[in-house]
Amino acid sequence: MKLPEQVTRIAVVVALVATLALLVRFVLIPRAYFSTAVHQSATVRREVARPVNFAGASACQDCHAEEWEKKALGYHKGLACETCHGPAAGHAEDPMSVKPFAPRDRKFCPVCHAYDAARPTGFPQINTESHNPLKPCITCHNPHDPVPPETPKECAACHAQIARTVALSAHALLPCATCHTASKEHRIAPRSALPSKPQTREFCGQCHAGGTANPDAPKVELASHGGGYLCWQCHYPHLPEGRP
Amino acid sequence: MIAQVPPNLTELLGQVIGYIYPNEIEIHWSILIVVYPYLTGLVAGAFILASLVKVFNVKEVQPTYRLALLTALSFLLVAPFPLLLHLGHMERSFEIFLAPHLSSAMAMFGFVYAWYLMGILLLEIWFEYRRDLVVWGREHKPPLRWVYRALSLFSNDISEQAVAFDRKAVRTITIVGIPSAFLLHGYVGFIFGSIKANPWWSSVLMPIVFLMSAIVSGIALVLFLYMVITSLRNEPLDMKCLDKVASYLFYAVVVDFSLEALDFIHRLYQSEESVKILAQLISVKLFMNLVILQVLLGMLVPLAVLVAARTRRVNPDLRKLLYFTAALLIQLGIFSTRWNVVIGGQLFSKSFRGLMAYKMEMTGLEGLVTALGLLLAPFLILFVLVRLLPAKRAEEAPIHPA
Ligand code: HEC
Ligand code: HEC
Ligand code: HEC
Ligand code: HEC
Ligand code: HEC
Ligand code: HEC
Ligand code: HEC
Ligand code: HEC
Repeated sequence: MKLPEQVTRIAVVVALVATLALLVRFVLIPRAYFSTAVHQSATVRREVARPVNFAGASACQDCHAEEWEKKALGYHKGLACETCHGPAAGHAEDPMSVKPFAPRDRKFCPVCHAYDAARPTGFPQINTESHNPLKPCITCHNPHDPVPPETPKECAACHAQIARTVALSAHALLPCATCHTASKEHRIAPRSALPSKPQTREFCGQCHAGGTANPDAPKVELASHGGGYLCWQCHYPHLPEGRP
Repeated sequence: MIAQVPPNLTELLGQVIGYIYPNEIEIHWSILIVVYPYLTGLVAGAFILASLVKVFNVKEVQPTYRLALLTALSFLLVAPFPLLLHLGHMERSFEIFLAPHLSSAMAMFGFVYAWYLMGILLLEIWFEYRRDLVVWGREHKPPLRWVYRALSLFSNDISEQAVAFDRKAVRTITIVGIPSAFLLHGYVGFIFGSIKANPWWSSVLMPIVFLMSAIVSGIALVLFLYMVITSLRNEPLDMKCLDKVASYLFYAVVVDFSLEALDFIHRLYQSEESVKILAQLISVKLFMNLVILQVLLGMLVPLAVLVAARTRRVNPDLRKLLYFTAALLIQLGIFSTRWNVVIGGQLFSKSFRGLMAYKMEMTGLEGLVTALGLLLAPFLILFVLVRLLPAKRAEEAPIHPA
């Protein structure tokens, strides 16, 4: 069959476009333009030339078995030593003359532990402003085995002198909670969650005013006794004295 | 401590809801990226409507055939510009042809585009118009004569045999063209659908949903253009053709709506971890655009209008008005669809805990004015094309040879 003439015409146009494209692609443009080999080898050379800074996660094990084992069982088991100590390849090679850095100040730990809404739920976070300010974290937390310290349940653990005083006083049988409401927080961050203290004469009057129930407590005339001063301006509450 | 925020973003910062990552405040894919799938959608839709005539021999739609082809061409010519303007450095765009990146779907767009433009559309238009070009080349005086002669590649043969060959060529190209049109727009959906990290986009249905909405918008556009152009010329509208196109529009909208509903229900039922933020996205950020504009005004109302026009025995004048309204509403709806996909997909944080805000520029390179310009440009091109290549077939060839 003879092809209609328009086919030859369009074929010429198509052939022209195709030849032009192939010409540009394969002849005019230098091959190097497409080669990634040039870039690759240069990159490899550049990277290889860099000094090695990190010794790697397991390099420290041989010489610091104690820290290694402690950390492996603790909450920080997922952290590499060099996360905190910084690149220590130099130290691993020559431990005596190169000392790695150890983050002993308060600034470092909050990088991971400061409160941030974007952290996963349940990740241990603190408010750096109120979580035992001024003291470095490592005074209370061992960085290699960071269990939160046991907090003393007894007030006596911290207020020993007062506790001993009260124990010998007429108020020995009164628990601290009779006169102070201390939240659980107070045992973790004492200064930022101070307990309450009695505020009024009527408070002591609960037991000591005439006509109140407690038979053991000696009674006074609340309205006149002590002349309107607060009771603890004359009686030390942890060691009250009054009977001759 | 709050990081330093660039002044143009501080306003947005106030509109953030919940928690977002610091680098999410800026929305990178702007309105231009909304315009881009909208334009390619119109191309694919218009082409598929045109194909109905040639492949399935739907005689009624014949009056819109050439118009649909030219519409597809003029929108296709503008389609890459939103991307090029957005990326900047247009002069470098040809490099993707020289050093093709075969594993990047985005980089392959150049080839899909070039194939569709040069391998399909231009060829089909050339074969379709060749005979007329020859005839016009003989009728007109220079300089128009030279334009037509050049366009016809100086071919001369308008014998019955040659014209028969043209018809066959057009048919073959159309058959190859349908999958190519699917490829062109399905590809746009594919790019969004394959972004795993974004639950609003990541869906295998995405290419198909894009395709169906493309068909809807393309048919509606040709319907609209046909009505406007014919009325401007004071010619009578072919009611048979209108009814047929409108009925295709109706089916396309039904399928499109079902697909989108399916996608929606599927997400709801799967109820992945993202479902909460997506619900919030719809109810807080996209309520107007998605529920009101896209679904209600862009789909349900046009469906009702089309049903009304079909079932009741309404007189032709009212029917025209109804079709016209439906076509306009559908354009609005499909544009909202693109907006909701592109902008909506960037309005929630990857943390799934917060929502951002998008503030459109007015005059910048990626602003409203540019977008409107890009939406208008195809109509200008179409105006010239329709002038140059009228839809009406040329009269019988003049007796004297050229
Ligand atoms: C070859 C054995 C060796 C290796 C390997 C080694 N260290 Fe040491 N490291 C030592 C010795 C020895 C000392 C004690 C030096 C001293 O007492 O002055 C020391 C001291 C330290 C100190 C205390 C420094 C100070 O300021 O007191 C730190 C912290 C430390 N090493 C961290 C590491 C880390 C982290 C690694 C793994 C990257 C590591 N070391 C690997 C031998 C080693
Ligand atoms: C969470 C951060 C952190 C990690 C992880 C960590 N360290 Fe430390 N390390 C510290 C801090 C803080 C000190 C300083 C402790 C001090 O001065 O009491 C320290 C001190 C040391 C010391 C000096 C001896 C001492 O107890 O004062 C050695 C040795 C050491 N670390 C080795 C290691 C090794 C080995 C590992 C990995 C198994 C490791 N560290 C992992 C924070 C860390
Ligand atoms: C690189 C991040 C990182 C750094 C730096 C870091 N930690 Fe941790 N810390 C962790 C991770 C991870 C855990 C384990 C959390 C878990 O078990 O879910 C943890 C757990 C803890 C816990 C246990 C809390 C609990 O009750 O579960 C304490 C206490 C702690 N770290 C204190 C510290 C201290 C003190 C420092 C500074 C020396 C420090 N951390 C530095 C990441 C870090
Ligand atoms: C004065 C002692 C002290 C200091 C200093 C201290 N902490 Fe604590 N920390 C505690 C105690 C006590 C707890 C346990 C609280 C509890 O049981 O809820 C605790 C708990 C934690 C926890 C666990 C919180 C949780 O929700 O499980 C983290 C994390 C922590 N501390 C980090 C730090 C960091 C980081 C620093 C330094 C910035 C620091 N701590 C300084 C005493 C201290
Ligand atoms: C972890 C140690 C610790 C424990 C346990 C503790 N406290 Fe304290 N308490 C403190 C510190 C530290 C202060 C602050 C002293 C200062 O500011 O000089 C304080 C202050 C107080 C004050 C004075 C508040 C004020 O306004 O001056 C009262 C009252 C008090 N504690 C009661 C209690 C009681 C009751 C308990 C037992 C439930 C208790 N504390 C347990 C450490 C502790
Ligand atoms: C009978 C009531 C009472 C009881 C019981 C009592 N306190 Fe107090 N406590 C007071 C009063 C009242 C003050 C306020 C004194 C002042 O403001 O000068 C006070 C003050 C304190 C303070 C502040 C420091 C000081 O010495 O002023 C501490 C600490 C304290 N009490 C601890 C304790 C502890 C620990 C116990 C239990 C062992 C305890 N108190 C039992 C009434 C009581
Ligand atoms: C819960 C009841 C109660 C409260 C409250 C109370 N006391 Fe007492 N107080 C007693 C009892 C009981 C005794 C006598 C115990 C005994 O003699 O065995 C007593 C004894 C005394 C004595 C006599 C001590 C002596 O033997 O010389 C004084 C003074 C005193 N209290 C002062 C106070 C003051 C001041 C307050 C307020 C801060 C106060 N009390 C709050 C129960 C209470
Ligand atoms: C101005 C100082 C002063 C003030 C204030 C004061 N007292 Fe006294 N109180 C004394 C003196 C002095 C005694 C010794 C007995 C006496 O002479 O009444 C005493 C004795 C007591 C006794 C022992 C009485 C007995 O019969 O054994 C009690 C109980 C007592 N006071 C409770 C209180 C209470 C409760 C308050 C507060 C409402 C209070 N005091 C305020 C100075 C004071």
